[in-house]
Amino acid sequence: MILKLNINNKFYNTNIDGDEFLLDVLRKIGFKSVKKGCDTGTCGVCSVLINGRPTLSCQFLAARAQGLKITTVEGLGKKADKIVELIVSEGADQCGYCGPSLVLTTYAMKKELKNPTIEKINHYLTGNLCRCSGYEGQLRGIKKYMGVK
Amino acid sequence: MRFEKFLQPDNLKAALKILKTDSNSVILGGTTFLRLSDKKYSTGIDLSNLDLDYIKENNDQIEIGAYTHLRTIETNPIINKYFGDLLPKSLENLIGIQFRNNATIGGAIFGRLGFTEIITALLVLDCELEFEENGLVPFSEFISNWKIKRDILKKIIIKKNRGKYSYKMMRNSSSDFAILSVAVSNFDGIKIAVGTRPSIAKLSVKAAQLINSDNKNIDEAANLIADEFKFGKDLRAEGKYRKMIAPVLVKRALQEVLK
Repeated sequence: MILKLNINNKFYNTNIDGDEFLLDVLRKIGFKSVKKGCDTGTCGVCSVLINGRPTLSCQFLAARAQGLKITTVEGLGKKADKIVELIVSEGADQCGYCGPSLVLTTYAMKKELKNPTIEKINHYLTGNLCRCSGYEGQLRGIKKYMGVK
Repeated sequence: MRFEKFLQPDNLKAALKILKTDSNSVILGGTTFLRLSDKKYSTGIDLSNLDLDYIKENNDQIEIGAYTHLRTIETNPIINKYFGDLLPKSLENLIGIQFRNNATIGGAIFGRLGFTEIITALLVLDCELEFEENGLVPFSEFISNWKIKRDILKKIIIKKNRGKYSYKMMRNSSSDFAILSVAVSNFDGIKIAVGTRPSIAKLSVKAAQLINSDNKNIDEAANLIADEFKFGKDLRAEGKYRKMIAPVLVKRALQEVLK
């Protein structure tokens, strides 16, 4: 089936199978920032924003994405830079595999949480797994971004 | 999960017709768990364009469309207003926000999966399900038998009973499935449900009778839970362990709703 996808405010026509998931379609189109990790809905590295909500693209049928607004980290542009700078300044960037999804989720979190606390931040980011940083450095940067001491 | 055809019917009648005529078709919910199976279907029926994603409040009830995402329920102020944190607490530890932004309540219920904590919570509410073919069915009836297999769940209807609610669970780590879940409500009597045993949640009869006969019987009712339910083993816990923690969680929940 032919699909017309709105990715980062640009339209892409692509031919897919009905049972293909968004993760694979995005990577085929060229959005390699969307990582394939566990592919079972557990690790969070495939997260993208769908209509502004962080969503696992490995679980989202591509055919359903027509008419929705998909944002990958490339689509955040300069909005991502601030988050990245704060995380990197805390020495948290190691392999970087979880980075794009963490930045996207953090961006969505800032928009959603009205009164962020460290507990709320930790809870919001539960679905973003990182296997090398131990989270502490990343969290220091994210707390700064969220304005939480 | 694989399927050969992907169909998006215009209405529920057409969707039911496909489901009934094609025995190897499947209704697609959030496809979060369905996708983990190796099963190959002939047709995947997608209802995401049929406006089943809503939470509405009427005079005496709340209606939740079957395609409403779990995260929407978790954060909805109408639901929190009437049932406290009962439903959010049963959802907030399920994997992560990205997962709950896609998983649907219809999929969570229709699968009747043992680890689905929201089933434990919904059991203690005055709750009905509306199906396209079978019409209204009490939630507890749907959960306790497998009579309805090929139908379309349209919405979940919950009576707005102001009362006291408590949800308790035990898990090895946040975002993992629970080892045990307990929900207790106190409106028009006390209801106790125990779930993720690891089999599907069930309402208590004996312990509920005891506590409803005298609210002081908290310890006795909680201890009765260990014998009333069967507790099994899975990779998260032994049945023995579940049997030991069940009375503790039930006691804490009863204390909360009887404060």
